[in-house]
Amino acid sequence: MSTVLENLVNQPYKHGFVTEIESDVAPKGLSEDTIRLISAKKNEPEWLLEFRLNAYRHWLTMAEPTWPNVRYPKIDFQNISYYSAPKPKKLKSMDEVDPELLRTFEKLGVPMNERAALAGVAVDVIFDSVSVATTYKQKLAEVGIIFCSISEAVREHPELVRKYLGSVVPTGDNFYAALNSAVFTDGSFCFIPKGVKCPMELSTYFRINTQDSGQFERTLIVAEEGASVSYLEGCTAPKFDTNQLHAAVVELVALDRADIKYSTVQNWYAGDEEGRGGIYNFVTKRGLCKGVNSKISWTQVETGSAITWKYPSCVLLGDNSIGEFYSVALTNHYQQADTGTKMIHIGKNTRSTIISKGISAGRSNNSYRGLVRIGPKAEGARNYSQCDSMLIGSKCGANTFPYIQVHNSTAKVEHEATTSKIGEDQLFYFQSRGIGNEEAVSMIINGFCKEVFQQLPMEFAVEATKLLGLKLEGSVG
Amino acid sequence: MSLTTTHPYIEALLKGSRDLPQSPAGWLDARRAQALERANALTVPTTRDEEWRFTDITPLTRIHFQPAQSVTRLALSDIGCFIVPEATVRLVFVDGIFVPELSAVPDSPAGVQVSTLAEAAEARSALLEKHLARHVAFENNLFAALNTSYLRDGALVTTGKNQACAAPVHLLFVATQKETAAYPRCLVIAEPGAECTVIEDFVSLEDGAYFNNAVTEMVVGAGARVRHVRLQRESLNAFHIAHCAVTLDKDASYLSNTVTLGARISRYDLNVAQNGEGAEMRIDGLALISGRQLADTHTLMAHARPNGRSVQVHKTIVDGAAHAVFNGKVFVHEGAQLTDSSQESRNLLLSGRAHIDTKPQLEIFADDVKCSHGATVGQLDAEQLFYLRSRGLSDASARNLLTYAFGAEIIDRIPVRSLLERLERTVLEQTQAAEPETRS
Repeated sequence: MSTVLENLVNQPYKHGFVTEIESDVAPKGLSEDTIRLISAKKNEPEWLLEFRLNAYRHWLTMAEPTWPNVRYPKIDFQNISYYSAPKPKKLKSMDEVDPELLRTFEKLGVPMNERAALAGVAVDVIFDSVSVATTYKQKLAEVGIIFCSISEAVREHPELVRKYLGSVVPTGDNFYAALNSAVFTDGSFCFIPKGVKCPMELSTYFRINTQDSGQFERTLIVAEEGASVSYLEGCTAPKFDTNQLHAAVVELVALDRADIKYSTVQNWYAGDEEGRGGIYNFVTKRGLCKGVNSKISWTQVETGSAITWKYPSCVLLGDNSIGEFYSVALTNHYQQADTGTKMIHIGKNTRSTIISKGISAGRSNNSYRGLVRIGPKAEGARNYSQCDSMLIGSKCGANTFPYIQVHNSTAKVEHEATTSKIGEDQLFYFQSRGIGNEEAVSMIINGFCKEVFQQLPMEFAVEATKLLGLKLEGSVG
Repeated sequence: MSLTTTHPYIEALLKGSRDLPQSPAGWLDARRAQALERANALTVPTTRDEEWRFTDITPLTRIHFQPAQSVTRLALSDIGCFIVPEATVRLVFVDGIFVPELSAVPDSPAGVQVSTLAEAAEARSALLEKHLARHVAFENNLFAALNTSYLRDGALVTTGKNQACAAPVHLLFVATQKETAAYPRCLVIAEPGAECTVIEDFVSLEDGAYFNNAVTEMVVGAGARVRHVRLQRESLNAFHIAHCAVTLDKDASYLSNTVTLGARISRYDLNVAQNGEGAEMRIDGLALISGRQLADTHTLMAHARPNGRSVQVHKTIVDGAAHAVFNGKVFVHEGAQLTDSSQESRNLLLSGRAHIDTKPQLEIFADDVKCSHGATVGQLDAEQLFYLRSRGLSDASARNLLTYAFGAEIIDRIPVRSLLERLERTVLEQTQAAEPETRS
C-alpha cells in the first residue's frame, strides 16, 4: 500500500471539544428514585412514569449484550448522571466561533443561516430564527402536522404518545432500549395525519431547533393512512458531546399506504488517532409497516462515534409493505462499527432492499450485521441485499454477518457481498488524467457509495459527499 | 454459572469412558484425561449459544446413549451395497468398533498406508503424538471433548512424501444398534507432495435412534493434495455430530465434497486453516433433507497466509417440514494479502413448512484481497419450468428434473465414479419421491 493512501486517511480530527458545560448535573446513579425524579421534573403523567419504571425493572433483569463485534471497557451505569442536561455555553457572535469549524462548514457547504445554530451561537443574536421557526411551524400546523419535542407532545397530545410510544420498540426489547425507555429525557415527536403529504423535509426545521440532543434521545414518528414524510436526523457538521454513552430509541409507525423516509447523517466525535475518547453510539431504530402498502426507508451515513452499534429495522407487517435500508459506514483510526439492518417479513408480498457500503481505514473495524427473516405467512416475499466493503490500509477489518432465515417456500431472497480495495491502477488512471490522489480517492469512494447517496435528500447528498472526502482528507505526498 | 458439577446428561454419556483400557502410549492417556476433564466442565449447547442458535439438540439429550457393548456379527454381504469398487483399501467400523473381517487392507497398497489408530499407537507413536487430537480443539467444544475422551481406536491414513495413491481409501462406519453412541475418529496425514482420496461414509442398518459423534483431522503437507468425500446417510432417527479440522501447508490443496442425506439431526463443522502460502481449498456441500430432518453445516475457511484461494458452493434442498442451517465463515487474517475467496449458499425450498437459516460471513483483516459471498433462497425458477413444460414435460417431472439438476451440480464433482453414479440415483429417487403437496 502506498503511503499516499495512508496519509490520506490519517487526517487529524480538526476540532477539540469546544463546549463549556454550564453545569446542571445531578448526583450520579440510577434507581427508581432517579426515574421518579426525572418524571417529576418533567411533570409527566402517571402512565409515563409507569412506562419508565416497567422499563427499569426489566432492564435490571437484562445483561449487557456481548455479541456485537466491538470492544470497549465495561460501562459503569451507576457512574452516569441520568438527568443532567448539559447546555453548551452560548457564544455571543460568529466571531467567537473556532475558525476551523467555520472552515468545515465552508467545505461542507452548510447554508449561512444554519452555521450559527450549529456552532452553538445564540441564534437570535444574529438571525431572526424565531420567526423562521415560527413560519415553519405555522406551515406545518396548517396541514395538521404535529412536530415538537417529545416532552411537549406528552403534555399537548398525551393520547397519541401513549398509543404509539413503545409500540414498535417495547420497553424490554433490548438492554439499551430498556435503559432508554427508563431514563429518556427528550427527543422528537412527529405526527402526520391521514392523507397529508408533509410539505417540506423536516430536516431543515430540525437542524435549527434541536441541536442539543440529549444522551438518551427518544424519537417517535407516526404517519397515518396515506400520509408521507421525509425526516433527517443529525447533520454533517462535527458534533461534540461530553456524554460518552448515547443510547437512543427511534420508533416509526406507518399505517395503510403511509410512507416514511428517515435519513441520518452521523458525525459525532470519534476519539483521537490513538482511539482515546469518542462517543459510544448504541441506538435502537425500528420502523413498523403496520398498514397495507406502507413503506419505510432508512438511509444512513455513519462517519463518527468511537463505537457505532445500530440496526435500523423494518417490521413488514402490512401486506405489500416495503422496507428499505441504504447505508454508508466509514470508520477510521480506532473506530468500531457494528451496524446493519433487520427486515422482518410478516405480511404477504412484502419487499425489502438492503444496500450497505462499509469503508474501513486506519486500524478500524467495520461490520455489517443484518437479518432477513421471512415468516411462514409471508407469501411471495422478496428481499435483495448487497453489502460491499472497502478496505484502505492493511490494519483495518471488514466483516459481514448476514443472517437469512426463510420459513416460506414462495419467498425469494438474494444476498451478495464483496470486499475490495482502491487499486493502485485505479489511482494511476486518475493521475494520468491529471486528477490528484486526494481527489481520485474521494471520487472512487463516492462512486462506491453512489447508490446510497442517491437516496439522501438533495442538499445532504452534496454535504455527505464532501463529508466523506473530509474524513479521509490528508496531505498528499 | 458455576460448573463444579457435571451436567447430568454429559455424565451419563461419559459413563463408559472411564472403563477404557489404558493405551500403550502414555501421552494418549494424558490427552484423553484432559478431554474428559473438559467434557465434565462444559455444558450442553443450547439455542442461546450463537454457534447453536438454529439447531436445537434437545431430542438428542433425551436419550442416554452408551457405546455398544457387543459387536454385531455382520457378513460382507450385509454391507455389500455400500462397498465402493474403486477403493482397494477399506476399513469398516461397526458401531464404532473396528471389524477386520469386513475390512480390506492389502499388504502393500500403492502410495498409502492405512491402519487403525490402535495398531499405530505403539508403532507410530511419535507421529500420532504430533497430530492426534491436536487439530480439533476440544477445550470449548463439548462434542469434540466427548469424542476425545473416548479416543481409543479409529482410522489412520498416511501418504508418504511425493507418493500418490490413485485409488480412494474407503472408511465405512456402519450403525447396527439403537441407543448406542459411537465415537468415530480419523487422522489423515499427507506428507509433502503426496496425493490421496479419502471417503468417509456413515451408513446404517438400523432404523432406531443412535448417536454418531465423529472427529476427523487432516494434515496436508506442502504441495500435497487431499480429496475428501464425506457421505452422511445415517438412519432418519439417528443423531450425527461431526467435526473436521484440516490444516494446509504451503501450496497444499484440499477438495471436499460433503453429501448429507440422513439423520434426524445432523451437524457438521468443517474448519480449514490455510497455514502456508498459496494453499487452495474447494469445498462443496449438498444437503438433501425432508420430513422432520435438521441438517446444520458450519464451515470456516481461515486464510492466515498470502495468496490463498478458496471456493465454496453449499446447496440445500429442503422438503417436508425439514430445516437446513448453513453458517459459512471466511476469515482473512492480517497479512493474508492476495487472498481470493468466493462463497455461495444456494437453497431450494420445496415445501411450505420447510425452512432455512443461512449465514455466510466474511471477516477480513487484510486490504488487498478479493472476497465475495452470495446467498439465495428460493424455489424453482418459473421460466425454467415453463421452458420444460413447453417441451412437453408434465409439471411434476419438470420440477423433479430441475430439483435433480440443482443437486447434481455438487454430486457431479465427486471424484469417485461409482459413488457419483449411486448418489445421482439416490438424489433422483429422493426428488421423485418428494411428490407435490403445495404444488398444483
